[in-house]
Amino acid sequence: MMVTSARIRISSAVTQCFPRVLGLSPLDKDSIIRQHVRWKKIKHRKPLDPQHADDIQEFQYVGSRSKPDTLLYVWGVADHGGLGRPSFVRPDPKKRQHHMAYRYSPHRLNFGEYYKVVDIACGYGFTVFAVEDCEQASCFGTGLNTDCQIGTQEPRQGNPLGMLIAPAPIEVPLNKSSNILKVACGRAHTVMLSDNAEVWTVGNNAYGQCGRPVITSEDYSKGGVYHRLQELSGLQIHQIECGQDTSFFLSKDGVVYSCGWGADGQTGRGHYNNEPRVGPVVGDIVGENIVKVSCRADCALALNDKGDVFGWGNNEYHQLGSITDEMQMHTAKKLHLPDVGRIIDIASSGTMCLVLNEYGQVFSWGFGVLGKGPNVSFSRTPTLIPSTLFGQTQLTPDAKVTNIYCGINIFAAVNNYNSLFTWGKNPGGCLGLRHLKDQYFPFRVALMGQILKVSCGIDHMAALVRELI
Amino acid sequence: MSYRTEASRITTVDQTREVSPAMVTARGSLQLTLALFKPDITRVPHVLKAIRQRIVEEEFFIIRNKELRLTREETEQFYIEHQGKFFYNRLVTFMSSGPTQALILAHEDAIKRWRHLMGPTKVYKTKFEAPSTIRGMYGLTDTRNSTHGSDSPDTAAKEIAFFYPEFSIEDWYKNDEPSFRLGKVSLDDVNFVHRLQ
Repeated sequence: MMVTSARIRISSAVTQCFPRVLGLSPLDKDSIIRQHVRWKKIKHRKPLDPQHADDIQEFQYVGSRSKPDTLLYVWGVADHGGLGRPSFVRPDPKKRQHHMAYRYSPHRLNFGEYYKVVDIACGYGFTVFAVEDCEQASCFGTGLNTDCQIGTQEPRQGNPLGMLIAPAPIEVPLNKSSNILKVACGRAHTVMLSDNAEVWTVGNNAYGQCGRPVITSEDYSKGGVYHRLQELSGLQIHQIECGQDTSFFLSKDGVVYSCGWGADGQTGRGHYNNEPRVGPVVGDIVGENIVKVSCRADCALALNDKGDVFGWGNNEYHQLGSITDEMQMHTAKKLHLPDVGRIIDIASSGTMCLVLNEYGQVFSWGFGVLGKGPNVSFSRTPTLIPSTLFGQTQLTPDAKVTNIYCGINIFAAVNNYNSLFTWGKNPGGCLGLRHLKDQYFPFRVALMGQILKVSCGIDHMAALVRELI
Repeated sequence: MSYRTEASRITTVDQTREVSPAMVTARGSLQLTLALFKPDITRVPHVLKAIRQRIVEEEFFIIRNKELRLTREETEQFYIEHQGKFFYNRLVTFMSSGPTQALILAHEDAIKRWRHLMGPTKVYKTKFEAPSTIRGMYGLTDTRNSTHGSDSPDTAAKEIAFFYPEFSIEDWYKNDEPSFRLGKVSLDDVNFVHRLQ
């Protein structure tokens, strides 16, 4: 009995797989169709004649003058409109659109197809894009606009929008001939750098982060104030960076200027008060040629041309533990980082610091997801994240990390094979790894192309990518 | 996973507006607590919506709700017990940097329940140790930790008196509390406060 039932089962499986071979009657075929068995379509019954294929003329459709385009990818929480895709927040059921609270894999934003984006920056729930060759404006923004951090957006007078779901122009009062080149975003303010080295700020100024005097009763939601930093005119600023409520400006001669919240000493000005006046950071940093500043929360790092790192600000998780045990530090000090080598890139998140050395090795220290395994851990001294996790394998022994980025709890690294790796907290899938769990070691994001810039917000990310073909 | 559940919660927001009498008839004596929404979240609509939803789900009654902007002096007075600690200055500057929402919440075990819902103070650690709490989900940094809650009945009375000098706890227990216990209230969506029917 057992044997026959087994045989029947086998025969039915065989007929389902090979009806044509077995020569089934039309009736049997109908019954199979009724069982909703789906057949794979056979595309070519006869293979092409290889000789004939050689005879066919080839066309090159991509012109010799065409250049690879720059694409824009965004992912993470969509509820605040920071992804710039209206259908995520306000879907049209007629077009079969559904509400999407988050997007856990990179989404190619159509804004990048219409405008030539040169720089991107993610803040707390908003994204700002600097564009080139655009009549309308040279800077666009989308997402939360509760403090007019993406400018005054007032389609009806007296009704400023607190949230934008699609990119809208930020009308910075620039000369017609000049453009915004670089942008940086904090918690609720935006800093913009134009091609004639003017620095503009807009948004929340409760701590003086916009570089203008703090007005206690100012209602930031009512209208944006575009402020040009007069103190920086004449200085060739070439990098701008924003902490949560602090702004940093790096000049070409290697001097770091700061303004904003200083309660943890993050302005590095030698005191713990709010600092609305822009001025140079004091301490060991004076006289050094700084090439990069990094700050995403309340701890700041700076890198000089010799590969030394300077730090100031919050030290509650011993990010600056190599030189002090104080919780806060208001003056820049040179960090003591032995066995790390010559450092070429830095990234400072809320509780953790990352450095990259000239051999492409990434070191991390502080508290949080250090990127080395399934535990949240703490280290006072820099620890190496194995290069294997950044794509160095037997097939690609020369793979090394070229850039590192971070948000408050999220981290990203790009290697010379144009692979983007992310790790850290994963609210709303903002690591782009197609899942919502926290990622405890670097993992590759499915993103194709040459990665030009990555920007990490609180719960979303954006990447500027040059296509390969 | 948290965002998936949150999304489903947002979609069902309209269905849970009415407090069902069956849910509340068995309620005992209510306790009051003061909850603050700090300046980092009061202007973020989707976070505010999600937190309000959590409060309704946890069966709290919202007795009073108002938005105000604290001055530096008021904040210093409110956090006087922290004076001298290293974070005092940043706490005060942060709290006076934007609008704050002050709520009086009622529940049988309001103080403990609200503090449990908030999660521990240190956001960076809470994000890993208690990720489903309000601070674990929406807190930014240890300073910008989204919410505040009274830690004992005495503090609650003191803090309620600080934000609502006109509110008499005794009168409320005498006049309104029985109706709340019987569930004869409805939620005012716009102002996010429970009103007697």
